[in-house]
Amino acid sequence: MLNYIWAGLIILSLVFATVQDSYDLIHNTYKNGIAKPVQVDFPDNREPEQKQRVSYRIPDLDTTFRATWRPSKQQSELIIPVSGGHPDLWRKVAKNQKSDNKDTLRATIVEADYRSGATKIMLPRVRFVKMRAITEAAFNMAEFAVDLVIGLIGLMALWLGLMKIAEESGLIRVLNRAVQPGLKYLFPGIPADHPAYGAISLNLAANVLGLGNAATPLGIKAMEELQKLNDKREQATDAMCMFLAINTSSVQLLPPVTLLAIMGTEVNQIMVTIIMATTVSTIVGIAAAKWLAYRHRNQ
Amino acid sequence: MLETISVFILPILIVIFPLYGLIKKVKVYEVFVEGAKEGFEIGVRIIPYLVAILFAIGMFRASGAMDWFIRLLDPVLGLVGFPAEVLPMAVFRPLTGSGSLGVLADMIKTYGEDSIFVQMAATMFGSTETTFYVLAVYFGAVNIRKTRYAVQAGLIADLAGIIAAVAFCSWLFG
Repeated sequence: MLNYIWAGLIILSLVFATVQDSYDLIHNTYKNGIAKPVQVDFPDNREPEQKQRVSYRIPDLDTTFRATWRPSKQQSELIIPVSGGHPDLWRKVAKNQKSDNKDTLRATIVEADYRSGATKIMLPRVRFVKMRAITEAAFNMAEFAVDLVIGLIGLMALWLGLMKIAEESGLIRVLNRAVQPGLKYLFPGIPADHPAYGAISLNLAANVLGLGNAATPLGIKAMEELQKLNDKREQATDAMCMFLAINTSSVQLLPPVTLLAIMGTEVNQIMVTIIMATTVSTIVGIAAAKWLAYRHRNQ
Repeated sequence: MLETISVFILPILIVIFPLYGLIKKVKVYEVFVEGAKEGFEIGVRIIPYLVAILFAIGMFRASGAMDWFIRLLDPVLGLVGFPAEVLPMAVFRPLTGSGSLGVLADMIKTYGEDSIFVQMAATMFGSTETTFYVLAVYFGAVNIRKTRYAVQAGLIADLAGIIAAVAFCSWLFG
């Protein structure tokens, strides 16, 4: 299943990028090759052959914009800092252009009448936006994955260290005895008094309380315990799938920190619905894992 | 009350483990370091799994396929009373945590914090996990490549959470 989803994501992204880019080319979404008229004002009547700061207006817009007039023998340019006041198309071109400086448009000057200031400019050509975007995304995300892990390593070391103390001191055994009756039904594959129970219950507790940072290392610890019971090293066991299903659907009594950060106290309102929705999803998740375990019993 | 608990629970846990260890005469410092060593190994083990999942999802997101997908699903879901406004959250949530958080931030800007759509989307965000990320990290940590039916089970649970979020929100706030 994961194989198909994974390959599907990659193939579909190429297909959709091609479709979107062809659509943009056919409809000329970015108006490539179409010159735009602007009215340029030279301050103090300076010579147009000199590089200088100028102001200009776009027809039908009241605003006066600033830009740098940069004449040259080969290709004169108007260098435009893009602001929120510019037309949508200009901002879209700036955002999607090839140049890395997304706040500036280097428009080429096609025609210029220095006496009246009437000028025609051509914005940079924009093509294959999505194709460039998916390549960039692939590289960026590959890098991001490592950053994510680096951030996780310290936390993992902390929790795994604490867990080791809990194991050696027998705290996990105490916890085991407390949670075993409840978890035995969900994880029939785990023998009595196995430390996996303790690790699972700690992870579930961290999840319920919205402690995302602590939950991940504890979950990994639980997976390691479950892996000790696995005789096919590379294949997930029923207990692992059940653990994952409960984990991703876990009941939440407290809002995740991220949600609190962007919604503020409004979160209090939706806590009721979150608790209700997670109760439903946990029940469905457990039922689904049980049912799928039955269907995959011969694998 | 619950919020107070959540402030205290972590420091208490962090103190209780070594304390209990001391009482039981465990060489707490040495044992801690022994356990902590694993942190780095596991991190390195996770990297390939995480790269595989994240780059595929990143490409899919960047391609604009999501927009087409949402446009395609929109009329179908309209028939069963699922508001199109919250569909992006439902699609993004199992795939990416930061992406779905971005969707929510966008929605707050567009509809306002107390709109029903934001309440629905926020409930979805709070009640489901980024299934694919959890899958990559947890299975990556123990080097499991054949995930069997874990994806299906996780996605079914997500779907239930999403539907429940819409249903409960329209019942309570609608």
